[in-house]
Amino acid sequence: MINKNFLRLPVLVAALAIASVAVAGDSPQKARHELMEGVLKAAKVVGPMLKGEAEYDNAAAMKSLTTWQSAAAEFGDLFPEGSDTGEDTEAAPAIWEDRAGFDAALVAWSDAIDVAIAANPATLDDAKPVIGAVFGKCKDCHDGYRIEKE
Amino acid sequence: MRRIVVALLLLGFMAAWWVTAPSGFSELELPGHTPDAVAGERVFWAGGCASCHATPVNGKRAKGADKLVLGGGMELESPYGVFRVPNISPHADGIGGWSMLEFVNAMQHGVSPAGKHYYPSFPYTSYARAAARDVMDLKAYLDTLSAIAGGPGDHSLSFPWSIRRGIGAWKRLYLDAAPVQASMAEDPLIERGRELVEGLGHCGECHTSRDRFGGLLKDRWLGGAASPEGKGRIPNITAGGENIASWTGSDIAYYLESGFTPEFDTVGGTMVAVQENMAHLTSADREAIAAYLKSVPTVD
Repeated sequence: MINKNFLRLPVLVAALAIASVAVAGDSPQKARHELMEGVLKAAKVVGPMLKGEAEYDNAAAMKSLTTWQSAAAEFGDLFPEGSDTGEDTEAAPAIWEDRAGFDAALVAWSDAIDVAIAANPATLDDAKPVIGAVFGKCKDCHDGYRIEKE
Repeated sequence: MRRIVVALLLLGFMAAWWVTAPSGFSELELPGHTPDAVAGERVFWAGGCASCHATPVNGKRAKGADKLVLGGGMELESPYGVFRVPNISPHADGIGGWSMLEFVNAMQHGVSPAGKHYYPSFPYTSYARAAARDVMDLKAYLDTLSAIAGGPGDHSLSFPWSIRRGIGAWKRLYLDAAPVQASMAEDPLIERGRELVEGLGHCGECHTSRDRFGGLLKDRWLGGAASPEGKGRIPNITAGGENIASWTGSDIAYYLESGFTPEFDTVGGTMVAVQENMAHLTSADREAIAAYLKSVPTVD
């Protein structure tokens, strides 16, 4: 009896491990949340520069921009039908009700990033308009496609 | 006996009529000031006129240039019923043809050119604290915008709120042009901030809780409130506020300019439209707002 249960335990643990990996790998809610966390982390590098709290650093700014560029390329695929609820998602129903509008907002974000990368801003004064425009797109998309949490 | 009752009723009716009578400035009380449309544009953004009066586009709030299409039509859901926001474009269906005195009385006394009370969903209770010359500049600016025909129907309110005349009594209790916080003549930055926050910006209308008749609880000034639209809460923006307490003055000014919090999250909810308006102000004005907010008493 004891032996039997003892044998079952590793099987159970393995099954659970596979299941949880599968959930982590498969959940678009979690994947897009993590992608946005990366976007935020990159914003926290550039934001203080725009705000005048940190010295402008072209290399660091460009690194943030490329982080956003790859995030923008992936982001739109992470909102399949049926992922509108669950796992504390902040995605607004408007994403599925107005998919074209959401996609256009993502394109606007991606385009602004491309413009800023092409500008390769050397100074803060050069960076302010182009990176500021990227920040503006964050706001535009959140306003309408992200729900406000209490 | 019957005569006495009739006389008392009549007297009571006359008293109520008198108490609720609309009143405003007279021509003589307007300052001698040449209205300036350029200055008026800043007043327009500070006052947040577009946030309610811009005609919604496809059922959503107007953005960009559409904010200057002031045909009204937005519906404000409230515990009292639905308020329908009027046309304020310079068309006969809006404010076209209004005299300066009529406009100032609307903005600062809540009285229409026809001598009727406006509901305080139009925040004249705050605009009353603005300088009359700013209001005059605003009219000069509005007169430069496109004239839009048409307008929404009347409000749909529940009794007793549906009796417009009753607002006269409400105004006697709650319409007060005096500063909420003591005037800070010795600190011009805070004083400017006071004008913007208490007056044109009408921040207290959402950020301060109300009593059962809809009057602001001034001892809880800017201490947060239930959302007027019924869901969620409008945050406490005094030093007692959960989020704002750790923000510096420049954090507040930057938030109003860019829409980003110190954590680089974006502004959300009904504050988005407000922030977009504040982004049109000068940085000195946003710093003034921040300085004022840092000066108000803490509400826990």
